[in-house]
Amino acid sequence: MLSKLLKYELKATGRIFLPLFVALLMFAGITRFISPPMGPEKWAAPAMISMFVYICIMAGIFVMTFIMMIQRFNKNLLSDEGYLMFTLPVKAWKHIVSKLFVSMLWMITSGIVAFISVLIIALEKGDITKFTEAFATFYDQAFEQLGASIYFLSFEIIIGILVSLASGILIVYASIAIGHLINEHKMLASFGAFIILSTLSQFLFILISFIPGGAYFSNVNISSYNDFISMQWLIQTVMAYGIIFTGLLSAAFFAVTNLILSKRLNLE
Amino acid sequence: MSTIFECTDLTKKFGSKVAVSGVNLKLERGQIVGLLGPNGSGKSTIIKLANELLTPTSGTILIGGKKPGIETKKIVSYLPERTYLNDWMRVHQIIEFFSDFYPDFKPKKAYDMLKSLKIDANDRLKTMSKGTKEKVQLILVMSREAELYLLDEPIGGVDPAARDYILQTILGNYNENATVIISTHLISDIENILDYVVFINQGKVVMTSSVDDIRAEKGKSVDGLFREVFKC
Repeated sequence: MLSKLLKYELKATGRIFLPLFVALLMFAGITRFISPPMGPEKWAAPAMISMFVYICIMAGIFVMTFIMMIQRFNKNLLSDEGYLMFTLPVKAWKHIVSKLFVSMLWMITSGIVAFISVLIIALEKGDITKFTEAFATFYDQAFEQLGASIYFLSFEIIIGILVSLASGILIVYASIAIGHLINEHKMLASFGAFIILSTLSQFLFILISFIPGGAYFSNVNISSYNDFISMQWLIQTVMAYGIIFTGLLSAAFFAVTNLILSKRLNLE
Repeated sequence: MSTIFECTDLTKKFGSKVAVSGVNLKLERGQIVGLLGPNGSGKSTIIKLANELLTPTSGTILIGGKKPGIETKKIVSYLPERTYLNDWMRVHQIIEFFSDFYPDFKPKKAYDMLKSLKIDANDRLKTMSKGTKEKVQLILVMSREAELYLLDEPIGGVDPAARDYILQTILGNYNENATVIISTHLISDIENILDYVVFINQGKVVMTSSVDDIRAEKGKSVDGLFREVFKC
């Protein structure tokens, strides 16, 4: 059932995002095509307009990922459409997971598409070779200094990004779900819940830095490249702690949301 | 006959307002039951509690012996009193959606009914009138071969001609063992198809009776009795 929910979630959101992506890439291409290679000061009106449209679409995409994250949860599950979704023979946690995964997917895809569109506008001939060369040198240097742990570090960074994204979305879900418990002014209550939950997680974060050994982490002080190399183990440990902490927070937000949706649902 | 629907001391409060108050009710399989009462008497609340869309304040509700959950959702086909369809899908897409999630959904039945009501399966839900959307919803709900149909105000928003067709659809689409619970205040329209009635007022069950008994013992129609019981 989860795969079916994912399929419909992708359909419901893809019909908004895919046209936006196509439009962004198109206007990146148009801007590239009609603007002279000299620089902004020589731009004619059409190029300016096309650039302006491009920037608007870009902003629109990022606003849309945010709006969609809230809309799909609030509208599809907790308003009239919830009458359909919650009478499907599907457990509540699957609804949350499908919405979470698809939201994360669009955030990441938006980032990638935005990056590609920048390349379309800015890329000069030969840049790709320069980039690959620069990357290869960077990789060689980093590998020389860090050894195989560079893989571990990259892995940690990727996991870190994913976990942070998930926790950012789940805190919003949990806030909306908590707001749903209140009879009146649900939006206001959700907003209040969000402020309380984020303050609480900040507070917990400070608290864990007081646990034994935590103070040691404050020694991380990077002022030069060599500092980074000498402290790499410490940095990796700090990151691992961060990931575990954020992961636990996400799990807590998920549990709260799931509890409310499965045991305390009250659709008006 | 076995029990399909059972409430024990079922109570639901919204803040200080009591919507359903200590309801005890037992309904057997294989009949069409009218859940009748004036506006705001708690009909919709009971049906929503049965679908796990609301959580009871106290008491229990059992569908085929089970508390509302995944297992009961598989056997209950629910028509809410509002439009629960999103506006971006086309009719055939929502039919695919139902086929995907409900193994007992029969797409052929749905397409046949769409045809009789002259609704184009390629139409977008967005462009439809409220009445047409209600028809589509009823078609979706009645195209399932469920054990229990919970229909909340199924004829409230449609014209009288379609009303007849819908009632025929309800009659024609449920098998002997299935049970249909219809909540409404438009009694005279559905009176002829009911086997059993539950009168409900201010969150309490006022009277339960088979329709035959009402006619035989009281010599009245259900509509007449309703007007008498709920006289203002």
